[in-house]
Amino acid sequence: MDTLDYFLPQVWFAILALFLFLYVMLDGFDLGVGILSLTSSSEERRGILMTSLGNVWDANETWLVIMGGSLFGAFPLAYGTILNALYMPIWLMIFGLIFRAVAFEFREHAQRKFLWNVAFGAGSFAAALGQGFALGAVLSGIQVDAEGHFIGSTWDWLSWQSVLMALTLIQGYVLIGSTYLIMKTEGALQETHYRTAKLAAITTLIGAVLITITTPVFIDYARDRLFQPPQIYIFAVIPLLGVWFIWQLIQSLNAKAERAPFVWTILIFVLTFLGLALIVFPYIIPTEITIYDAAAAPSSLVFMIVFIGFLIPIMLAYNIYQYVVFRGKVTGENYGG
Amino acid sequence: MDTVALSRMQFALTAIFHMLWPVLTTGMAIYLVIVEGLWLKTKNPIYYHHARFWAKLYVLNFGIGVASGLPMEFQFGTNWAPLSEATGDFLGSILGFEGAMAFMLEAGFLGIMLFGWNRVPPVIHYFATIMVAFGANLSTFWILAANSWLQTPAGGTFTEGGKFIVRDYFEAIFNPFMVNSVAHMFMATLETSLFVIGGISAWYLIQNRQPEFFSRSFKIVLATTIAVAPLQIYIGHLSGEQVRHMQPTKLAAMEAQWESIPAGTAADWSLVALPNDKAERNDWELKIPKALGYILEFKPTLSEAVPGLRDFPPENRPHMVGLIYYAFRTMVGIGFFLAGLMGVTVLQWLRGKLKADAIAQQRILLAGWIFAAPLGYLAIESGWVVRCVGRQPWTVYGQIRTVDAATNLPPGNVLTSLSIFALIYIVLFVTALYFGSRIIRHGPNLDLPIPSFDAPSLPPASVTHQPDQRPVEAQQ
Repeated sequence: MDTLDYFLPQVWFAILALFLFLYVMLDGFDLGVGILSLTSSSEERRGILMTSLGNVWDANETWLVIMGGSLFGAFPLAYGTILNALYMPIWLMIFGLIFRAVAFEFREHAQRKFLWNVAFGAGSFAAALGQGFALGAVLSGIQVDAEGHFIGSTWDWLSWQSVLMALTLIQGYVLIGSTYLIMKTEGALQETHYRTAKLAAITTLIGAVLITITTPVFIDYARDRLFQPPQIYIFAVIPLLGVWFIWQLIQSLNAKAERAPFVWTILIFVLTFLGLALIVFPYIIPTEITIYDAAAAPSSLVFMIVFIGFLIPIMLAYNIYQYVVFRGKVTGENYGG
Repeated sequence: MDTVALSRMQFALTAIFHMLWPVLTTGMAIYLVIVEGLWLKTKNPIYYHHARFWAKLYVLNFGIGVASGLPMEFQFGTNWAPLSEATGDFLGSILGFEGAMAFMLEAGFLGIMLFGWNRVPPVIHYFATIMVAFGANLSTFWILAANSWLQTPAGGTFTEGGKFIVRDYFEAIFNPFMVNSVAHMFMATLETSLFVIGGISAWYLIQNRQPEFFSRSFKIVLATTIAVAPLQIYIGHLSGEQVRHMQPTKLAAMEAQWESIPAGTAADWSLVALPNDKAERNDWELKIPKALGYILEFKPTLSEAVPGLRDFPPENRPHMVGLIYYAFRTMVGIGFFLAGLMGVTVLQWLRGKLKADAIAQQRILLAGWIFAAPLGYLAIESGWVVRCVGRQPWTVYGQIRTVDAATNLPPGNVLTSLSIFALIYIVLFVTALYFGSRIIRHGPNLDLPIPSFDAPSLPPASVTHQPDQRPVEAQQ
């Protein structure tokens, strides 16, 4: 293989990681807000929660669509094998996302909102759960034959590792959702989410600690990678930095800062993501298939960089513009009255 | 039932359901661009109210379109993994382009289009509306490019192991079917949307409710259909010609033609038939004498032979002949009916019978428009049935068989997901019809405040965004 055969799959691994990260961060707060809406004490509050997402959820969800299409194009083998292995968690996620998506409009129209409140909250929860299972299952490894085709069984994805991952991801989503709501709301509603943020910060920390401890103990390929230099230095720094970030987050929540909690949460997400990506790389289907095995032909990868890669800054620009247009707090005056 | 059949049923169900929603989000988007442009140009508030009223139906469609679009993409991986692996180099990248170019553009500007009326200057708002329409129609382009490639694969080679390696991307994207298919679908969503808007307007006009308002949309629609309806028939004819030359098995199934027809004959065209797949003939048939040459070539005799289904071994040709045959006739029949309705209406328009104060008297005509409102959907679904059932037994025509394209899943898994889809989609369909008809019954809210042209600066950051900026809320 020449340099290009190494370089192009690596570029696409990085782009896919970026898309996945953008999705997890952006739709993460959407889904977190959705899960939090299950605990809303009034229709008015729930209305504010949904309105805070009204103009952004669709674009945020689109990162998942772009990630899916890019994975399909850049690593076709991985797309087929992973989705085949994760049949149930993927559909759980999709059914959840369907209910979440339609709830926005249907709830506005409905006189009795109960059904669509449940669709919104439970849909968000199901989507997060499916994503957590999927992530956990991929990290613990997918059984494949020599050609990289799935040879495991229907329930392979379900293990205590994937359950732990799903629970932790939900905590993470609730955390980022809470810190988003701290930015977008005020008064008593904001107070509520200072509390939920603090609670979620602690549960996320517990989950993260458990995952950090158990991953090298139970997942062989991860252990091999973690305890070799130079990775060991990176992986020694990540948990320490993570604890410091969470400490800063809790400090900012105590100080009733409005934007800092969201920023610290994003940094925690970045760090976690970096750690997971470094464990997985260069595999795309742990524990057998690398990005070089699964990559599309170099011509395709180049073509996709031209068509998708150059659009990334443009997409980011108009997405940011939209956030600027709708900046400011969502208030509840005259809502639903 | 085996997994392949179940996966096909799941794809068919999810595709047929999904197809219902992007029709308006692509076609009506163009109408929204027209009325908002008229508002900016004439500053006549009635056009602003048009933009707001129709946008309510638009956004209802949009949510379900997004929701039901997700399974389409992920299904390739979950249920059609061998196909994904073999063709991902091309199909996957096309779906990626669709997401990055089309969906994100649509989604990124939709918020501004729906809720940004008082947050951005009118020109920026108009730009957002155009971007939403452009993004939606770009996705038509990419999806039809991908599907056309399944029909007429080009631009590369299949390796020994069956994997498609792209040699020339532009050749693959501009595969033989692509241009006509994109044009046919673009026109289909536009025409259907126009007849939906026209039909709803007619429903108001026939009751003499707000004739001033709805005769305007009716006329905009009518003026646009003058170009769209006949052109769509012509593009459809071009597509049919291509099918004849590149997918002879599909054409034979569309015409339930079992025997081959030699060149130089003046063959009959079958109007109604009872195709019998087992006996390989039509049990009963009503024919129009010597019409086939005119239909295929605008000539009394055929210049080339038309192969019949029996010319192909049974494993190389489609089998649901009756379905393909009637789906094709449904599509074509509706295409001509809509064009005819347009023609008659234009005639009345020229005779001056469509003035806002007199239009309610055209009861039969308006009833025809109400009847026509859902027909475009039926034509579109029928067209897709012809296109994709007619392509069988291939998923990639001539290259990859559908049986080889499906993931080897336990049938129970597919049956479970299929059943859940069926349930969810019934609920969504009924709910959307219910809320949609309520939006229509409510009618436009002409008391909405008009955004100012003069002070178009961005509001200060402290301004809160109110839930009642939602077009739906503004009605209550």
